[in-house]
Amino acid sequence: MLKGYTRKFKPLELISAEEVESIHRGALFVLASTGLRVEHDRALQLFADAGCDVDLEEKRVRIPGWLAEESVRKCPSSYLVKARDREKDLMIGGDTLYFMQGMGMRYLDLDTWETRPATIQEHKEAMIVADAMDDVHLADGVFFYMERKDIPPVMVMLENLASGLRNSSKAQQFGYQKNCEIFAIKMAKELGITLNPEMDTASPLTIYGSAIDAAIRYIEAGIPIQPCAGITMGAEGPITCAAAVVQGCATVMGWAVLTQLVKPGAPMSIQFGLKPMDMKTGSPNFGSVTNSMTTVMMNQMLRRYKIPSCTSAGFTSLSKKIDYQCGYEKSMGALISALSGGNLQIFQGGSCSELLYHPVLSILDNDVAGWVGRFLQGAEVSDESLAISLINQVGPVPGHYLNTKHTREHWKKEHYVPAVADRAPYPEWLVTGKKDALTLAKERMDHILDNHTPVPLSDNQEKIVENILKEARLYYKEKGLISDEEWTEYMKALE
Amino acid sequence: METMIFDNLKKAILEYDSKASAEWAQKAMDEKLDPVKVMDAMTEAIQIVGEGFGRDELFLPELVGAGEAMEAATPIIEAELKRTGAKRESAGTVVLGTVFGDMHNIGKSMVATMLITNGFEVVDLGINVQKNQFINAIKEHNADIVAMSALLTTTVQEQKNVIEALKQEGLREKVKVMVGGGAISQEFADKIGADGYAPSAPGAAELARQLLAN
Repeated sequence: MLKGYTRKFKPLELISAEEVESIHRGALFVLASTGLRVEHDRALQLFADAGCDVDLEEKRVRIPGWLAEESVRKCPSSYLVKARDREKDLMIGGDTLYFMQGMGMRYLDLDTWETRPATIQEHKEAMIVADAMDDVHLADGVFFYMERKDIPPVMVMLENLASGLRNSSKAQQFGYQKNCEIFAIKMAKELGITLNPEMDTASPLTIYGSAIDAAIRYIEAGIPIQPCAGITMGAEGPITCAAAVVQGCATVMGWAVLTQLVKPGAPMSIQFGLKPMDMKTGSPNFGSVTNSMTTVMMNQMLRRYKIPSCTSAGFTSLSKKIDYQCGYEKSMGALISALSGGNLQIFQGGSCSELLYHPVLSILDNDVAGWVGRFLQGAEVSDESLAISLINQVGPVPGHYLNTKHTREHWKKEHYVPAVADRAPYPEWLVTGKKDALTLAKERMDHILDNHTPVPLSDNQEKIVENILKEARLYYKEKGLISDEEWTEYMKALE
Repeated sequence: METMIFDNLKKAILEYDSKASAEWAQKAMDEKLDPVKVMDAMTEAIQIVGEGFGRDELFLPELVGAGEAMEAATPIIEAELKRTGAKRESAGTVVLGTVFGDMHNIGKSMVATMLITNGFEVVDLGINVQKNQFINAIKEHNADIVAMSALLTTTVQEQKNVIEALKQEGLREKVKVMVGGGAISQEFADKIGADGYAPSAPGAAELARQLLAN
């Protein structure tokens, strides 16, 4: 199992214990009075059988407080995600933070700063880079490069999952779309892994049938689920942080009830992103301070519920370039998410809302992940780390510590050394090409691609993956979801 | 016996153990081993550390630790070299120190270690070194290079004072002058008439080689 980072101090809080309870009571009231719109007949029946007030015509479920609270209690406080390499399994929950590879629909051209659909090769290379970086704990082959030149949209998630599995032995994220989860579940079962699939909530207070279909399939297959509570404040949810968190918590408890009705004890975590709408452009303000504030509040609420959290405050920026804005928006969000107790953090590689991804950015982000992870581990205070006798022994100048065993033994674990940050002395920087962190990250990517080989699938595993892909391709072709023209191009690209 | 002593001496340096390196150096002298060979063995060990530093496998704490382990053993061997009049091959002799008024030791020690790993003989005068101490050491050791460190903006001027003293003593043409330290730039080095400046310890060793090659 990967250790990730364990927080060694109290989590950051933005609201008091009394305020946490006010928000919780507000969410219970919303669930009981307004309830959720649930567009799924079987789920409506499950809610009704459990004692909810269900209006089948309106597809509205009003959930009593006792059921919401009981269901939250039934959710496990942590769960296992099985990787292809079992040494890389994750145990999500508690005081542990894992970083998850980020997302972005399109490939970013670093010469023009314009985006375009990615190729199969570019997806493969980005996965190899993610596999090489220790601080990508959960790989996400699925949600980056979803817009492709050579793969029909309906097959992108499965092809991306296959590329993720072929080019990384780490645990994998997944999702759902037009029944593709049926094939993903089959693949996971035959490979002996679990996935960490996420499913959407349509805010405000609505869960669509396709998300519930997928959730039920995963739960019944013994795979943990990760419902998302995404809210654009001022549009899909109220504008104030407190009210948005009330709505978020109503969503969390609604999902908890559904999950526990399908299978008591079934594990879930909650992915969330509560960010304000830009009142000029209408787009969600990822990377904003509000996004970080609601992250702290939601982490407080999820700690109360003992449900693992997956944060997204650092997963993207509004910047179109890999620049100062991109760096500070992502880093601030990442740090605040971690300090406030997020268990899983979507992070390395994405920017410009959910538009772009680049492995060079994932390398830069990975330095931030290491920085944040080191901070979480805190400062050890022990006889060895206090080193009182050493301070006495070295004494004043000309005494120094560079020659001591204590320095040699402790510096690497006490201090984090980023892989690509520019740390050259100024004169050396002048004569070695005036390289900035972006240039150094590009060089690092080349180095990884030249030197890192992920542990490949065995012949049998490759056969399993390819057979299931073939089955899915034919299924969607027969359903008319892949046109003849798309099929020809697709088959050519796979050659 | 000889091999065992050499191995232990090298091991002491590679384990940054000053006490053990001095003990094994003494043992080597007690056993009447050739002091030139003993120095070569130590240089071989410190070169291993220098190479590890170059590959980013070892870092300054290891470099300085090994340098100090070698420094602890060197006087014992040098006394024997002096007594017998034996000569070692070296890349050159460097007198170095942190200038008068400046108590900063660490950067200067790093440079000393890098010079040793590159085959130079180093006479380290320490910190707060007066200009006449530099002059005397240059004369005594017939130095090829004098290397001066200054971290403080208030002490950089002292480097110029030493260069003036070299001129007065008629030594300026005989020794190359290297300067370094946090407050120093290439422009300043040019202004005070130094022969070279390096921004880092590995750069200083490379510079020393270049100065003597010219």
